[in-house]
Amino acid sequence: MSEQTIQDAPERYKTSIMVLTLITTIVTSIVAGLQADANIRANNANRDSQYYAILASSEVHRTGLQTTYDLNTLTSQSREAQESLVMQITSLELQEDGNEQGVAISDVIASALQARADKLQAFSIFYTDARYAPATEDGLPNLEAYLVDVYDKANELTEKQNAATDAYQEWSSKADSYVGVLTVMAVAFFLFGLAQAAAGRMRLTFAVFGVVILLGASLWTILILVI
Amino acid sequence: MLKRLIESPRLDIFIAIVIALVSVTTALAAWRASAVSSAAGDAARLGLIDAVKKQAAENEDWRKTYEQASHAQTYAVTLAELESFEASNNSIAEAQAKNLRQYLLPNLQLLAEPFSTDEKYLKPDGTYDLDQRFADLKAEAPDLAALDPLASFELADQYGNEQRWLTVGVVLLAISLFWLAISELSAKRSRLIMLMIGLGIYLFGVAWFIVVEIIFVSMRGGVL
Repeated sequence: MSEQTIQDAPERYKTSIMVLTLITTIVTSIVAGLQADANIRANNANRDSQYYAILASSEVHRTGLQTTYDLNTLTSQSREAQESLVMQITSLELQEDGNEQGVAISDVIASALQARADKLQAFSIFYTDARYAPATEDGLPNLEAYLVDVYDKANELTEKQNAATDAYQEWSSKADSYVGVLTVMAVAFFLFGLAQAAAGRMRLTFAVFGVVILLGASLWTILILVI
Repeated sequence: MLKRLIESPRLDIFIAIVIALVSVTTALAAWRASAVSSAAGDAARLGLIDAVKKQAAENEDWRKTYEQASHAQTYAVTLAELESFEASNNSIAEAQAKNLRQYLLPNLQLLAEPFSTDEKYLKPDGTYDLDQRFADLKAEAPDLAALDPLASFELADQYGNEQRWLTVGVVLLAISLFWLAISELSAKRSRLIMLMIGLGIYLFGVAWFIVVEIIFVSMRGGVL
């Protein structure tokens, strides 16, 4: 009986430690998979962030060209219309002074300027598009609505870019944390290995430390997953 | 019988050979997972480069479109002014219009091409179709228009998914190596159990790897 006890003593807790090691390997494989997944997601988000930045910068460039064209057309139209008005006033003043030749020249110039203004008005989105056209004949175009609309796509792309950057930060941080968990799991492996090699109380001590670290690492993994 | 088998030096040699085999397989699997990861990175990088090229080309096309539209607008406005002079019944203005039409307008029309000469860019309201012009400019560089960053990203995603599953396979192989190493170091009854666990995980890992490879390579039409 006592001979058997002596023979069994070195084997005590070995099966339990083996099971714990098996559990550790399974948890480690899960964490390794999660780390790889988080890393891939971080890379994808980083790529998306760069892609949206390229699209946004291109859209801002295009918007700049469009607004320059549209606003130049509007200011030219406004200038031509005002100059035409000035020439009409000049014509009236010259008429009062009895300067018929001056009146004729002023009228020709006023008509020509008005013709230019009318053509520019036909080209202007601020008069052809109902969203921005003046509500009344003497009203002003809705520039605020135009600016909101024209930058809408660029803003949308920038929002997507920001969201992708946030996702990158999140997944990158998770991937880094999983590396930390894997390092701790390596310590658990080491302790269970020592437990296998040691005997008696030392075996139990190493096994208990290994279990504590395994539980701590598992809890850390759950926290990374949840947060 | 079992005790003799456990303590047999032949079992030591067998486990050592299995460990060597698993080590080589793990190294190959790790290499393949790394190669797939690199392929994913390459595809993503290509997609980003294509996006930069495509957007640079589009920027240039928009710049040309608005530049030509600006010239066309100048032409149209000058023509309106000239027609106003012609309709003025003023001899000075008519003479000026005649000279403008003869000397200035052709040059402006030349500058305003193709808006001023190609009817497909003329809208019913007398303005120009800038979107059509942009589409035509884009079509002039079919190689740049054909660039598809999203297709590269899709390929990168596919490689990324493959990498995920291959990583699981690599971990399985590493785990089997761990069990086999313990089996080699152990000298008791548990040795055989550890050997069986190690071999089982190894075979499962290899099968996993092969299945993952078959699925993803076939999804790419045979491309590794």
